[in-house]
Amino acid sequence: MPGARSMRLVESALRCYPQRWRSRHGDEAAEIASLLIRDGTPPHSVAWSYLIGAARTRLVIEPRRRLGAAVGALLLAVCSLGVPLALLSSSAPANAASVAHSRTAHPRPGQPRPAHTRHGRPRPDGLRYGGARGAPDRCDQHDHC
Amino acid sequence: MAARERDDAGGQDVLRRAGDASVLILTSLADGPKHGYALIQDIKGFAGLQLGPGTLYGALDRLERMGLIEALPAEDRRQPYRITAAGAVALRAYLDSIERVSSVGRLRLGLGGI
Repeated sequence: MPGARSMRLVESALRCYPQRWRSRHGDEAAEIASLLIRDGTPPHSVAWSYLIGAARTRLVIEPRRRLGAAVGALLLAVCSLGVPLALLSSSAPANAASVAHSRTAHPRPGQPRPAHTRHGRPRPDGLRYGGARGAPDRCDQHDHC
Repeated sequence: MAARERDDAGGQDVLRRAGDASVLILTSLADGPKHGYALIQDIKGFAGLQLGPGTLYGALDRLERMGLIEALPAEDRRQPYRITAAGAVALRAYLDSIERVSSVGRLRLGLGGI
């Protein structure tokens, strides 16, 4: 009989098969492996053959499962596309608002400055930034600004 | 050039088919039901190559799905298989086709027909 180590190697490869396959062929497959190793086939060769077979078995999906997998993949694709789109559409007004805010709070050079103070209060006439006085960009009402 | 490439591809296809485990299994089952280990031993005897057990089970599952073989009641841990009528027809058709190819090939090589 082949050594325990050889059979452990083969059993590890057999565990790679789907449960359904193992319940049908598992016992016979282990017996065939044992007989082949006894006949002189290298254990790693038997294990490798089972490993490749397990990969092929898992890749060949039954038609019904294939349909289920296709539907699942479609749903996954729709969800993965839909969630970012939903996020984009829900954040679009907020983005627009934040863009508008940033434009008013930090106007680009050359753009007219808003007619209110940094504290959100309307400036009295004649107290606009960069007015006729050519004063630096600062608040005229508070010393700490 | 294109014709030669086509011929090469056809030749490879014939070789690939001839080496297919399914044909070997069907041929082995043509003289009666066998289980896995008996199939491996029989194929080793008439074809001179040893099928890996993973390859054997893959081919058995494929042939069973195609209705070319069927499983018989298990004997202890061993699962015997037998060729179906459809499998026999498919094997005969395949053997006829490679026989024609073989005859033409032999004639053209000057070896004489079978």
